[in-house]
Formats: sequence, structure tokens, C-alpha cells
Amino acid sequence: MRRRIPEMFLGIGFVGIMSTLFLGLNWAPSVSINAFESPAAQRIFYWHVPSAWAAFIAFGVLFTGSALWFFKRSPFGWRLHVAGTEAGLACGLMTVWSGCVWGAAEWGTPWDWTDVRLNTFGLLTLLALFLVLGRQSQPDGVETRDTFSTFGLYGFVLVPLTYVATRVWQIRHPGPVIGAGEDGGSLQSSMALVLFIGALSFTIFIIGHMMISMRITHLEQRLEHAQKILDGGN
Amino acid sequence: MEGTNYLTVAYLGMIAALGIWTWTVVVRSRSIETRLEAVESSIGIDVSQADGIATQSTDGPQDDATV
Repeated sequence: MRRRIPEMFLGIGFVGIMSTLFLGLNWAPSVSINAFESPAAQRIFYWHVPSAWAAFIAFGVLFTGSALWFFKRSPFGWRLHVAGTEAGLACGLMTVWSGCVWGAAEWGTPWDWTDVRLNTFGLLTLLALFLVLGRQSQPDGVETRDTFSTFGLYGFVLVPLTYVATRVWQIRHPGPVIGAGEDGGSLQSSMALVLFIGALSFTIFIIGHMMISMRITHLEQRLEHAQKILDGGN
Repeated sequence: MEGTNYLTVAYLGMIAALGIWTWTVVVRSRSIETRLEAVESSIGIDVSQADGIATQSTDGPQDDATV
């Protein structure tokens, strides 16, 4: 039973995400036609913001795992690093993809190279892509892990930079929705509820994914160890 | 109408991607688990020594660890 906890998280998270979509499309109120070029496409917000939230959680896990490996040589830390990169890449791509589709409908262009938030978040996703592809193409070893952990540690600088980007250099991207402080009261309660369900569902889902990713890394290490024993090593 | 089309394309793409990703990792996890159980039970090894890289990096000099 305990071994199936990640699958339970995945199942609950997935059902929650589907419920968010249903509520976002059918129950949440429409936005003002005057305020948006494409009011229908605005409903992608119920996917875009929670996936960005989940991406930040994943990047936080990546940072923690990188620090644990780099400073403590913790195998658990390395598994966290691997799980954080894979989850960060998946959530980052979902955020970028949903943002591009929304931007194409709302702004008439999928990407604005002058907007700081778009570019810092894009860089974060590229960092996760580099770490995932790099880990798959390089032989596992202390130096490889140290290199990727260093990227994980320094790359995390982009997370707070991305978060404050719309406050400091707001160009096209709307301001913060989660943790917006006094400015966050513009959402209607029903919209905020759907957004909360979405954020919770994505959080549960991504935790499930990171748990299963850590399990896979651990299983791969055990398999490699068994292989060495079979080959006559120690 | 155009906005709805964008929305449909985006949601369908992401749901499919999420489903495929989830299915892939669950199947991969179960496949490795089954193989590993068979191998480990046949040779009888200690699970705590699984991450040889971490063991090497704490036991010996780092320069030799990637070999």
C-alpha cells in the first residue's frame, strides 16, 4: 500500500486538474469583454497559473536537492535534484505552452522578447531542459553531479527574479496572482476558488510525479549496483 | 470563437501531454521494479549500498570517482 502512495497522489492530482478544467470552462464567470481582447482564451489562466506555481515548487525542490548533494553528498539530495529537474521541465513547458497560446489570442503574438518575466521563466525552463538532457547524455559520476548541482544552485536565482519581474519591469505580462498582497483582491471569489483548486491539484500532482521520479532514480541505482555485482565488481 | 479554438487546442495538447508523461513514468517505474526484484533476490544484495557514486564520493578522492 505504502509503495502506491505516489500513484495515489498522481490519481488525485489528475482528477483535481480535470475538475479545475471543468469548473474553469463551465462554472467560473467570464471576464469583461472590454478588458480582454480574447475573453474566452482567458480561461487558460486556470491552467497557466497553477502550472507556473507547480514549476516554482519543482525548482525549489531542485535547489534543495542540489544543495544537499553538493554540500552533504546526500543520495537523497541527488534523487531530489533529478525529480526537481524533470518536474520543473514538465511544468515549465506547460506554463510556457499555455502562455504562448494565451498570448497569441490576447496579444496577437505568442512571445514578447522585451518582457522580463517571459524571458526569465523561459530561461528557467531551458535550464531544466539542459539538466534533464545533460544527465541522460553524461555518465553518472561525482563530477557530473557536482556540475549539474551547481547549475541547479545558481539557476534558482531566476525564481525570485521571475516572481518580482512583473512588479519591477511590467511590460505585457499581468502582475502576480498568487501572493500578490494588497493588489491581489481583484479576483472574484468564484474565480479565486477555481484557481485555488487548480493550484492544490497541480501541487498534489507534481508531488506524486517527484515521488515516483525519486523512486525510479533509486531503482536505477540499485539496478546499476546489481549489474556491477553480476559483472564481478563490488 | 477564435479564443475558444485557442483554448481547445491548448487544453487538449496539455491534457494529452500530461497523460502520456504520467503513463510513461508509472509504467517505467513498475517495469524497473519487477526486473530489479528478480535480480536482487537472485544475488542477494544490500539495498542501502545502491548509490555507489555517493558512497565513492564520501569514501575516496573525488577525482577518481567518475572512473
